[in-house]
Amino acid sequence: MSGLTLRLKAPANERLTLKDITPAKLAALSSHEIARLNVGIEKGGVALGDAFDISGTPGDVLTIEGAAPTLDFVAFGLDSGTIRVIGDVGHYAGRKMTGGKLEIQGSAGSHLASGATGGMIHVLGNAGDNLGSIVSGDRFGLMGGIIVVEGNIGARAGEKMRRGTVVVRGKTGAGTGTRMIGGTIWAEGGLGPEPGLMMRRGTLIAPTVDSLLPTFVDTGKHDLVIVRVLARYLKSALGQLAPKPMPLFVRKIGGDTATIGRGEILLPAA
Amino acid sequence: MSKTVNGVAIDDTFAEAFGMSGTGIIITADTLKWARIAATVATGFGTSVIGCGAECGIDKELSPDETPDGRPGVRILIFGFSPDALVPQIRNRIGQCVLTSPGSACYAGFKADKTIGLGKGPRLFGDGFQTAKKLGGTRYWRVPVMDGEFVIEEETGLTTDAVGGGNMLILGTDRAGLLETAEAAVDAIAKVDDVITPFPGGIVRSGSKVGAKYAGMFASTNDAFCPTLRGTVKKTELAPDTLAVLEIVIDGLTSKAVADAMRAGLKAVTDVGAKRGVTRITAGNYGGKLGQHHYHLKDLI
Repeated sequence: MSGLTLRLKAPANERLTLKDITPAKLAALSSHEIARLNVGIEKGGVALGDAFDISGTPGDVLTIEGAAPTLDFVAFGLDSGTIRVIGDVGHYAGRKMTGGKLEIQGSAGSHLASGATGGMIHVLGNAGDNLGSIVSGDRFGLMGGIIVVEGNIGARAGEKMRRGTVVVRGKTGAGTGTRMIGGTIWAEGGLGPEPGLMMRRGTLIAPTVDSLLPTFVDTGKHDLVIVRVLARYLKSALGQLAPKPMPLFVRKIGGDTATIGRGEILLPAA
Repeated sequence: MSKTVNGVAIDDTFAEAFGMSGTGIIITADTLKWARIAATVATGFGTSVIGCGAECGIDKELSPDETPDGRPGVRILIFGFSPDALVPQIRNRIGQCVLTSPGSACYAGFKADKTIGLGKGPRLFGDGFQTAKKLGGTRYWRVPVMDGEFVIEEETGLTTDAVGGGNMLILGTDRAGLLETAEAAVDAIAKVDDVITPFPGGIVRSGSKVGAKYAGMFASTNDAFCPTLRGTVKKTELAPDTLAVLEIVIDGLTSKAVADAMRAGLKAVTDVGAKRGVTRITAGNYGGKLGQHHYHLKDLI
């Protein structure tokens, strides 16, 4: 597979920001220009070519090897093509993504996929706090796309999330779906404590939940057509990565009734 | 000029059909029985665009694998003069006949760049309790109803290249045999995708001509094809032994689908042939100046 490979030379002294380092943008530059791109965050700057060994030719795939949690904003603004990361990444990976694919063969830091509107993110490890959540200055958190995390995720995932789908093979931290406005978070390993604080709309799906807020109400057992539609959609979009379908009947916990209460937590009906 | 196949004379003429706007909708339910009920009711009173506002019918039944929610379903087609004319037809038919049907859900049954609202009207039945779920590029509305939720996709595809009025007239000397033959043709046409035969059971017995002696009547009986008027009208199309004429009208999402359906229908009629009293096949046209689509019978056998 043709494409550029960036290999992190040594743990950097400062955090590096990979904003705008996407296959499409690198393809428009000469190798000289690529090497001179600034990825530092401090006054002196750090050239891409100083921080990374660059090999290959620009193509549809960008591979980042030897990645470390000091790399922030990986795949920021990705619109097409694939970024494959071997190792962990820092904060804000996949921020403002609109398309393409980000594959992280490691773990991600906080605010993964904040403000993203499309594309697919696959994390083989864990993800930190605020996955798909709002960042100061933004109106919404996640607004589209699909995120699959094979491990666990941190607290307050999906805060002010509007659209999109998050699949977590493991467990979520506390406050999943806080202030959620729409979209779906499906946690196959269960939801952490007190999900959905002030959620208006949106769907949280899990086999278990650690504890519920008192403002959530059990609406009973239901056979919901939309759960089947969702399962089929994820099967077609994700194939093998799709979560196992929920049982036919689910228990719908409605809330947060402290606000308009059109959100829902779906648990298997006992 | 005519050609004879298996004892049936086929006129050297053509069916004249018109450009229409059309769309497809998938209706699912807990069982195929209930999907059929919703689809049948939603496509009722949809024979002729002149009197009904739209021409509607069931295209085919869908297995659970073929529907967005994995339940059995039925695909219906709706045709109208224009996209604007289709809007109230879709809203009212879905709102009154599908939303109300137990366990139903409703999805786009036609993919196209142009779209037309499907759930945009019916969602308002939710009175603010409805919620949307956007999955990929598709938005679904969930309207709370008394047996759970009515799920309906926001939009369905629209084509303005649909064809309405593909037709064939089957003439015979035995009314029962003719009806059976026409039924066989409708069954054969039903196997073709993207077409419907909107009249009752797919068959029309009241073929019409344009205009009438009475003001306000746009169409009136096709006297040249009425056997009881033979000899008493200026022009009759019927041979002395013809006892009855039945017409099959075909609407399709594409011109090719209509041609394929006519081919299938003609084959079914000629396969049965003269032994059931069928003597002749012809087609309805207006001299070729009104409709954009001409289907010559000789090209389709």
